[in-house]
Amino acid sequence: MERGNTLLDDYVLRLARERGCRARPRVCFLPTASGDADHYIVRFYRAFAPELCEPSHLSLFRRERAVGDVREHLLTRDLIYVGGGSVISLLGAWRAHGLDLILREAWERGVVLCGLSAGSLCWFAEAVTAFHGPPQPVTGLGLLPWSNCVHFDAEPARCAGYRRLLAEGMRPGYAAEDGAALHFEGERLARVVSSRPGVRAHRMRWTGKRVSRRPLAYTYLGATEPGETPPASAADRLSVVAA
Amino acid sequence: MGGGGFSAPPGDPALDLYVLRAARVPHPRICLLPTAGGDAEDQIRRFYSAFRHLPCEPTHVSLFRLGSDRVDLREVLLSQDVLYVGGGSLLNLLAVWRAHGADRLLREAWEQGIVLCGISAGSMCWFEAGLTTSFGEPRPVRALGFLPGSNSVHHDSEPERGPCYHQAIRAESVPPGYAVDDGVGLLFAGTELVEAVSARRGAGAYWVEEVDGEALETPIEMVALPGREELEPPTPLSIIELREARTLRLSRGDARRGRR
Repeated sequence: MERGNTLLDDYVLRLARERGCRARPRVCFLPTASGDADHYIVRFYRAFAPELCEPSHLSLFRRERAVGDVREHLLTRDLIYVGGGSVISLLGAWRAHGLDLILREAWERGVVLCGLSAGSLCWFAEAVTAFHGPPQPVTGLGLLPWSNCVHFDAEPARCAGYRRLLAEGMRPGYAAEDGAALHFEGERLARVVSSRPGVRAHRMRWTGKRVSRRPLAYTYLGATEPGETPPASAADRLSVVAA
Repeated sequence: MGGGGFSAPPGDPALDLYVLRAARVPHPRICLLPTAGGDAEDQIRRFYSAFRHLPCEPTHVSLFRLGSDRVDLREVLLSQDVLYVGGGSLLNLLAVWRAHGADRLLREAWEQGIVLCGISAGSMCWFEAGLTTSFGEPRPVRALGFLPGSNSVHHDSEPERGPCYHQAIRAESVPPGYAVDDGVGLLFAGTELVEAVSARRGAGAYWVEEVDGEALETPIEMVALPGREELEPPTPLSIIELREARTLRLSRGDARRGRR
């Protein structure tokens, strides 16, 4: 849902199409981290238009007007897209509504899970949030047994905060720059793709003496011809997360 | 407050003034927590349009969308004279506050003597229990418990809440408590109810308890606040002249069209 750049949207839609064996995959947007902001929901429907997919969204603030059976709805999607905002508010509201359990179930059934910013952090065991005040650790859903930091290039304080937290015992993980997406199959990182040339993701860990940052090989989605796009995987339990 | 107030047009300006007076300082700092509505833009906008012209210093804190500035939640909350919690989903409000540790900060604020108030979900949150409609049907939910008893809101405007509240009290799934109409506020000093005020004619509040297996509603004595009409400034004469001139012009136009 980057402005004027549909490369990552196209990428996740392609995964969803293959997962669902449908030309118009079923996509549900979860705008919880933004407080179900109206403008964000509108932007989703513009990016994930009905000619591309069968879009829906789930509001936890106006749930009385939402889709009937939330669990049933989420488990029958091909792709669940989580929007950005505050990851702390996101996890708090999800747990109150039991969405944490439903999303794990969806993942185990092979629904493709993706999201950006807070919508990336949430899938990991540990994450770095810098919403109000300095960067601090937060416990995510733990589908991916790693740590995660987003906006790695855009916010120097976050980058420094991640390094500090790794030194203090945070588990190894992945940092993503804006426009870079980590694509996991199960718990394993399958590839890194990006919507902008030159942006990347990094493997981060504490060696016992220092924090090591290893830039990961990546594919810029814009450079490839339609026929040459990286192979999308039909494997179960896919998650694509972007900063 | 059981409902109404600044966030539901046309508003209850008397309640806004009442809240500011409760702070007992000439120019109170008042902070909106719009968490229950997901930091909805229109709630925030209405808050500023209601309080901007009153003798106070309004601000708000977002727990979803970062504005231009990062704030220290503790510092902002504890430096206010009034914390005003907006309406929305009670379930989400409590869950998001707990996730941010705001529940502990609010207790601290209360113990420091900061005035805590709110509308709808922002009213129920202070009691031991309230009713959430997050799942469609109203359902009891455990709240912060600063104030003893339970609370149900929109008692007059959302009739489906009444039977559910009665049922919850009969079944003792919530303690006895207060059912409150739109436009009505209950003022507590510490945990004691000291006054009930109404900004709307006929609106009230009720103490609801279980008596012989039935939920019994006892009306609470109300102090009437000036209504909306009484607080409206008188219309300037120039505006009255203009309106009359326009009415006249329109009726002439109608008459001409009628002739054709």
